[in-house]
Amino acid sequence: MAYPTAPLEVLGLWTGWLLMLMIYSYPLYKENIVFRWAEHTYIAVMLAVNLVMMVTNVNRIAIQPMLQGQIHYIIPIILGLAMYTLLVADYRWISRYPIAVLVGAGFGLGMRGVLIPNLLDQVVSTITPPAGGAAMDWFNFIYIAIGTICAVSYFLLTYEHTGALRYPTRLGRWFIMIGLGAYFGNTVLFRLSMLSGRAQFFLQVLKIIPM
Amino acid sequence: MSSETIWDKLQNIDRKVFYWILWIGLMIPFIRPIGLPISIAPSTRDLYNGLLTLEEGDVVWINIAFGVSAWIDCMPATVACTKVILRQGAKLIVVGAYTDADLSWDKLRNSVPDFDQLEYGKDYVYLGYYTGGEAVVAQIASDIRSVFPTDAYGTPLDELPLMKEVNSVHDIDMVLSGDTGDWGDYYMRQWASPYGIPMAEIGIAMLASSYMPFYKSGLLFGISSSSRGGAELEKLIGEPGEATVIMDALSVSHLMVIAAVLLANIGYFATRGRRR
Repeated sequence: MAYPTAPLEVLGLWTGWLLMLMIYSYPLYKENIVFRWAEHTYIAVMLAVNLVMMVTNVNRIAIQPMLQGQIHYIIPIILGLAMYTLLVADYRWISRYPIAVLVGAGFGLGMRGVLIPNLLDQVVSTITPPAGGAAMDWFNFIYIAIGTICAVSYFLLTYEHTGALRYPTRLGRWFIMIGLGAYFGNTVLFRLSMLSGRAQFFLQVLKIIPM
Repeated sequence: MSSETIWDKLQNIDRKVFYWILWIGLMIPFIRPIGLPISIAPSTRDLYNGLLTLEEGDVVWINIAFGVSAWIDCMPATVACTKVILRQGAKLIVVGAYTDADLSWDKLRNSVPDFDQLEYGKDYVYLGYYTGGEAVVAQIASDIRSVFPTDAYGTPLDELPLMKEVNSVHDIDMVLSGDTGDWGDYYMRQWASPYGIPMAEIGIAMLASSYMPFYKSGLLFGISSSSRGGAELEKLIGEPGEATVIMDALSVSHLMVIAAVLLANIGYFATRGRRR
């Protein structure tokens, strides 16, 4: 992508650059009025964009088909509108119906999909030895097998963690901590990726590096 | 006279100092690239090899479930995969689960020159934004038109040559989901698992550990994790791009974080005995 030349695009680029610096003035300096202004502007713009997209979407997939004769689309529209009764104390009970539909549909669909990929496939994958003979594959297989058993045993809360359960549960806690550490490490990686992108953008707008 | 030692001072450094060092340190590799080597992870290689199995005329569904803020992590891999898909002669359907999906589509469209040689509506379509979570993903599986009566530009699907024969999940040959959240799970549960559609994941770094079990169990044929995965794919297709450029900066930032953690821990352990 080349550096933009159209006046509006250049203006957009510099506006983004300036707003980024305003936001970063908080961690790099302290909370200040410039940061707050940029923060509020961001929230307002995102809210506006979301509202437009949502209304357009509802219009496209429900209202227009209903107006063209597919009258059954009135049901989701009424259920959607019923959610707004949450805002009126006397009629709040009506909102329970769309919530019930949402929870029921979500639970039903979730259960349909969860059993095989999240449970059965994982059990099979855990107990199936690696096909190849690579040492690392076997290490992973044993690590996952022991880790799964020990981590699950840690959550046997109806038994005291003594006797036969003493060491597996302690080991399980270590496995859980290692897992959470890896998860946290990946989270840090993502944040640093985002920061790297902003540093790159900072330099690109100033034309220090090519865009 | 202050009794503060160097170890005490290390633990009491204002975090802003670290932020400044990080911010400036990140810029140096962009100006003076180091060129650290990039090795290919097996999950990324499997993703690439999976894309190479596509045949002319196959239909691939790309779900863009990441916003502009996650472009840096997900877009390079999405761009690389799109290039491979189009060069295999496969058809492309792109949808977006975030409200800024149109921006992401523009970015993808402008980052893949192959689109210029192809015809919109016949070789690729962009259906636009959709919402509704898992229920909608399940609905698309049975009837695409009920969720997308038109494409993102308002053209009815029946007027698009590519979409004339694509009605449900049965007409789709592969799914790629680029995610910052749960949308990949929805596609695994509602498409890949019940219908056996080959699926791969392009995720931000923090999703890598969440999706790895599904890759190990075979439900996902490949994973590209973060900008690192993007850089690996760029290396595999032989076209260094945005992710490759950023890898040096990312490595430097990690070294700085490791140094900060080490210093803080050394300070903590050096002063622990005295505190007791």
